[in-house]
Amino acid sequence: MSTGEGNAFLDLLNAVLPASVPSWIVVPSAAVLAIAVCVALISVNTMFSVWLERKVAGHIQCRYGPMYTGWHGWLQSLADAVKLLVKEDIVPRGADRILFVLAPALALAGILGAMAAYPFAPHVFFADIDLGLFLILALSSVTTIGIVMAGWASNSKWSLLGAMREAAQVIAYEVPLGLALLVPVMIGGTLNLIEASRLQSDWFGMGWFVFKNPFALPALALFFTAALAETKRAPFDLPEAESELVAGFHTEYSGIRWSFFFMEEYTGMFLMSAIAAVFFLGGFESPLTWGLRQSLGEDPGFLNHVVRADGSTQTLIAIGGFVFQLVCALTLIVKTMLGVFLMMWLRWTLPRLRVDQVMTMGYKYLTPLALLCVLGGGLWEWARAGWGS
Amino acid sequence: MDFTGIHDRLSLIRAPGLLGADLPRKADPANKSLRARAGGPFVSVEAALLPQFLRVCRDDPRLCFEMLVDISATDPSKSATELWVNVSLLSVSARQRLQIKSSVPKQAPRLPTCSGVYPAANWHERECAEMFGLVFEGHPDPRHILLPEDWIGHPLRKDYEYPKTYHGISCE
Amino acid sequence: MSNEASIHGAGEHAAQREFELEVRAQDMEVNFGPQHPATHGVMRVLVRSDGEVVTGAQAHLGYLHRCAEKIGENVEWLMYLPYTDRYDYLSAMNNNLGYSMAVESLMGIRIPRRAELLRVICVELNRVGSHLIAFGTYGMDVGAMTPFFHCFREREWMMALFEKICGARLTYSYIRIGGLFNDAPPGWLEEVARFCDVFEERWVEYEQLLLSSHIFIQRTAGVGVLSREMALAFGVTGPMLRASGVDWDLRRDMPYSIYAEIFAAGAFKVPLGSGAKGKLGDCWDRTWVRVMEMRESIGIVRWCLAHMVEGPVVGDLPKVLRVPAGESYVAIENPRGELGHYVVSDGGRGSIRTRVRGPSFSNLAVIEELLPGALVGDAIAIIGSIDIVVGETDR
Repeated sequence: MSTGEGNAFLDLLNAVLPASVPSWIVVPSAAVLAIAVCVALISVNTMFSVWLERKVAGHIQCRYGPMYTGWHGWLQSLADAVKLLVKEDIVPRGADRILFVLAPALALAGILGAMAAYPFAPHVFFADIDLGLFLILALSSVTTIGIVMAGWASNSKWSLLGAMREAAQVIAYEVPLGLALLVPVMIGGTLNLIEASRLQSDWFGMGWFVFKNPFALPALALFFTAALAETKRAPFDLPEAESELVAGFHTEYSGIRWSFFFMEEYTGMFLMSAIAAVFFLGGFESPLTWGLRQSLGEDPGFLNHVVRADGSTQTLIAIGGFVFQLVCALTLIVKTMLGVFLMMWLRWTLPRLRVDQVMTMGYKYLTPLALLCVLGGGLWEWARAGWGS
Repeated sequence: MDFTGIHDRLSLIRAPGLLGADLPRKADPANKSLRARAGGPFVSVEAALLPQFLRVCRDDPRLCFEMLVDISATDPSKSATELWVNVSLLSVSARQRLQIKSSVPKQAPRLPTCSGVYPAANWHERECAEMFGLVFEGHPDPRHILLPEDWIGHPLRKDYEYPKTYHGISCE
Repeated sequence: MSNEASIHGAGEHAAQREFELEVRAQDMEVNFGPQHPATHGVMRVLVRSDGEVVTGAQAHLGYLHRCAEKIGENVEWLMYLPYTDRYDYLSAMNNNLGYSMAVESLMGIRIPRRAELLRVICVELNRVGSHLIAFGTYGMDVGAMTPFFHCFREREWMMALFEKICGARLTYSYIRIGGLFNDAPPGWLEEVARFCDVFEERWVEYEQLLLSSHIFIQRTAGVGVLSREMALAFGVTGPMLRASGVDWDLRRDMPYSIYAEIFAAGAFKVPLGSGAKGKLGDCWDRTWVRVMEMRESIGIVRWCLAHMVEGPVVGDLPKVLRVPAGESYVAIENPRGELGHYVVSDGGRGSIRTRVRGPSFSNLAVIEELLPGALVGDAIAIIGSIDIVVGETDR
């Protein structure tokens, strides 16, 4: 099911363009459209997250946050973006120019690639990938290469320290991250995000994986902690530890290049929360979607192909299906944003762990616990399946 | 401040066996210098004997001055021939202070370092050295501490003249 | 990474003599400062590190040297007071008090009772403000951004109180030779009482948010342990000394002003470090001592409010003050330790020597011993826990 049925961009283009356009034009155009939407989504998410972070920080710190740029400062991100665009592009003397320029692009490219597996709604996705989760984990590690490159290429000892810390931290926490994700994968039996979400639609829309296996809740906690470390959020924000290393690996970056690192960070947060939402917290499913499914059918798409009496097909938009897809999309976004909010809340409350404490926590505590969760979760699933009988 | 005990302890300092320290007598008309009105108990010691005297103050269980609080110097006036040195000690267990006063001639301002006795003296001596031109013999790290490494002159002396420029910046 | 490009010095001779320790090829030399978010001022610490482990440290001072002692010789006695505000600008009232007391001891004058009470109130409120900054910025050094804002919320109120009494928020010049600048405006004492009440509630928040936070304890307990012997040998005073287990506070042990009376009335205790979370004399102990001292200061302020009297506050001094000849060393307990003023007078219009013994200067000397062996993150924690103000280190 890679470029076939159910992909909204392809369906849309097929419906809009005349039938005479050959498929070798339509399919890549759909892909380009999908990429454009993806980039737009990431930009909007970054701008929203920046605003949200500043408001959350402000309110936790007994102040308001941005209030002047628009109503409660909602235009603040736009103002920041404009400022960053017009800043002077500085490359430090002695910096490795090629690597310096390439590093933020690489960091962002990795996370953008991982976003390909993120589904908006059951029929609106960029690509329906059977190995979706695997792809996300693999590509989000590419960002680490970009960050280490940034630290090295800056020709600054502070940046280098930040980059080394980042490399060590990511390697340490990849293992519990993957292991914790094995538990819902075992429950659902699939790495495909859309499929996994669909499997949680029983129990009146509350058949989430986190309720189906007692080891899924600890796995969620472990996953979330490891995700905090992967995305360099406090209490694991050593690589960019502001008060120690000035700004860590991105000390020497300014303007648009710096904003790339921040897009990468907020997109990473969004993606990790999205994985948690899809694989633990039901994804698209909620009692509302269950109710809609009862009235509209099992899998309502929003495009209806109607065969007319004279044999030609006409494509209409099904209102019910459209509503269903919209509700699904909003549910997932709300769940993701809850995770993002929790990450921000933790950042402004907790101090920062020291590098050896981060490593100790990763290797000595999280990894054994994750292994235990996998063992327990697997045994539970085996028991549920009747011990193989 | 309770000074009643200090005189007993100061008399210990004069006792044979310890270094002979010179206790100025308050009513001595010959001692008309400013130092006659020092507030608080003080002892005058020859500059060359300073480290040994401090060692006794620190180690003798009857004196027990655990902490060196300050070492400072004074240039009394342009015409004075001597620089004064003031060492301030504190005894935490006996709750007493002691000021130790010393002088060195301006022409040859050399005295031995006390940083072997109290590590606290290290930075204080560096400051006195750069500000007054005192040379603490045997100091492990005689660099400038507050002034730039290449500053010329000793600012706190009364005959100090400010430089006209510093690295091309005018100081007028 | 080469080492030759990283030794900075104005002259080659100076550069060669700077690092006399043996330089190994793989150690990295990193400059903390002069511009750095965590050195609490303009100070440079040259750190040699083997990756994340510090192998050597050297402090370079003097970036904020403003020749306070030389100026002391060039201005008249009364004119020197604003300069005293500016060495430890976070506890300006204490500096004013130290200098005024040194000159008053040479003059042998008595201070009116109301002036003494108001002096103590101002000095203790200033201590609270200074510890709030130490605590808040220390949280920021360790990564917790939020307690800083909470601390500043209280500090704003304290600064507003001081603005009402003397017109300035940071450098007060309020405590003068012979008494004070002026009397407290009507309603000020009631507002101070309200501040004490509110502060004691909020004090609980500081303890819960940062001091008891598990991550904070992990970052600071057992880190930067300063032993009792080393503290005494280096002339360390103040909360650092008390955190290392030495029970010494000038307000109680060599009382000045009316502290003897306050202590006899049982209005304050001196918090002493005990190694509760890690080892005795670690960074957690130092932070704990400062947080407890804030509460004790509020107790002192309350006692003074309860025993307030009416009366004159301004000293009766001639416009041109001539202080009798003599020398005097008077020390008070600054929020950072023992602030000593050694003044020498020849009977003239100004002093011939004003020596300021700043506690931060002596306290800072220990970092060259404490830093080697610690991690880079620990280095920040240690420097922050010393609570230096570079204005006082450099004068």
